[in-house]
Amino acid sequence: MGRVAVVGTGQTKFEARVPEKTYYELAFDVAKEALNEAGITHRDVDSAVYGIYNDLFERQVMPDTFVHDYLGFYGKSGTRVTTGGATGAYAFRAGYAEVASGLSDTTIVIGVEKAQDVFDWAQYKSTPEVLKSIAYSSDMTWEYPLGVQAASSYALLATAHMRKYGTTEEQAALVSVKNHGNAKNNPYAQSPMDITVEDVMKSRMISYPFKMLDCSLYTEGASAVILMSEKKVREMGISDPVWVAGIGSSNDRSFPGFRSVNDFLGNYGDIADLRGHYEAARIAYRAAGIQNPLKELDLAEIHDAFSFTEIQGYEAMGLAHPGKGGKFIEDGIPQIHGDLPVSPSGGLIGAGHAVGATGVMQIVEITKQLTGEAGKRQVEIRNGKGLAHSIGGPGSSYCTVTILEA
Amino acid sequence: MDESIKRAKETSRKEFRSEPLEKIIDDLIAKQVASSPSPLMTSPYLEVPDKMVMTYKYSLGGISRFFVDLRDKGVLSGTICTSCGFRFFPPRVSCSECYGDTEWYEVNPDGVVITSSTSWYATSEFFDKVPYAVAYVKPSNADTGMLQRIDLAGRTVVEPGTRVRVVFREKRNGSVSDFWYVIEG
Ligand SMILES: [Zn+2]
Repeated sequence: MGRVAVVGTGQTKFEARVPEKTYYELAFDVAKEALNEAGITHRDVDSAVYGIYNDLFERQVMPDTFVHDYLGFYGKSGTRVTTGGATGAYAFRAGYAEVASGLSDTTIVIGVEKAQDVFDWAQYKSTPEVLKSIAYSSDMTWEYPLGVQAASSYALLATAHMRKYGTTEEQAALVSVKNHGNAKNNPYAQSPMDITVEDVMKSRMISYPFKMLDCSLYTEGASAVILMSEKKVREMGISDPVWVAGIGSSNDRSFPGFRSVNDFLGNYGDIADLRGHYEAARIAYRAAGIQNPLKELDLAEIHDAFSFTEIQGYEAMGLAHPGKGGKFIEDGIPQIHGDLPVSPSGGLIGAGHAVGATGVMQIVEITKQLTGEAGKRQVEIRNGKGLAHSIGGPGSSYCTVTILEA
Repeated sequence: MDESIKRAKETSRKEFRSEPLEKIIDDLIAKQVASSPSPLMTSPYLEVPDKMVMTYKYSLGGISRFFVDLRDKGVLSGTICTSCGFRFFPPRVSCSECYGDTEWYEVNPDGVVITSSTSWYATSEFFDKVPYAVAYVKPSNADTGMLQRIDLAGRTVVEPGTRVRVVFREKRNGSVSDFWYVIEG
């Protein structure tokens, strides 16, 4: 496989609702920005990959085809990826494969989502319809009729973690405080906030143990990156791009109740442990030649759809021992000035979760950090390596881990 | 009249001619749109009421037996692989582990909570049920846990490890919500 570089990035501000743009208009804005940054035009692109999660959100089956048209990419290959919260990361992976395989020299990856055009006319607000659009991703025969939804699907994993390891709600609240705080230095973030652990603990219960401030919000926005082959990078005279050092993906069993058996992923633990995420990290670290991630990485963006999930992510990414994720945040290691800053962007809780765009946004953030363009939230770059962890699906079944290197 | 309201009213009028089930939604939207002040007047961008409605008559295929047993006999059925012995609950007619065939067996009414969460906020369909607990429950003769509701019986949290027993609804229609679990003892 050939080496693949990230040579351009684009991002909109993440906001609760963007009535002034349709999804293809949002996609256009980030495509234009990323192409400009790469110093190319849309004519130079060989293929496009779209990360768009939910047809119901977009009010359109096959929304990618209309993005492709709006961006003037007719005549070129266009593919859509949809893998729940991990959509953006799997789209990036597909774009990486396009270029690494030699199918394309230049590929654009665009993640976009309109999450709040859905509207419950009876309750006169969008939230119940947003929840429903997502809940339809749970198994419609066995699980949806019981009232499970995104929050409870992830809360079931968090409760198991609390039981197995003694992780506390206060430890999870520290993640929320950190990420809302980090968002204050990110001009693209939806939820910059100065809050305390007490604020999180006192916020409204959503699905035990998740309170309102433990949860990321629904977001609209878009992100894009341009991927380029090493040959093309040399031709273009791009001197020091950010390289993709490794990608690992693993999808665990979609019914978490099956994660109690000692199977192929059983070495990583049970329903309390994000087993597939450990496997995805192992694959990515092997590809990137990373032995000790805590020492070798300069930063990580960890998928905090919910605060507890970031704690479970520390462990699965090998930054903390299994069960020690709560202690990891208590010790301050993932703070912006800690030994390994985690989610300087503010993560999903602080920056927002524009589903299809989120995984691409993480790549944009790592790229900007590694090239020293992250402004007020810039972390210290010593080894030139950063990690993006992106997850989604019922019971967090999908996981892609991407390592970038400057 | 504001352009967006005019457009919304036209949409509603046109949709009145569609199926009766959809008419309920159309009437609701039309009523809201006509209310004053209209929500559509607040945006400088044209906002349009809409809906995507699908109706189904779907087949449960090879797992029909589970739902027929549940509806007609009030029992839970799982499957066991004739090649590797893996016990599936929810049942599968083919084994995902070794691709062998499976046989049906009766699943015990008692089990243990693997993990649980109590929901205090929900979609409109479940809003009147909060707080309610969902849990993965592993029956005493199964290898896996299946998602189900637990009767909170005045509690707010169901701890993992809690012993539970199945209860069947008296009038069953062959759906997963025909049964739930109650805490034992
Ligand atoms: Zn088998």
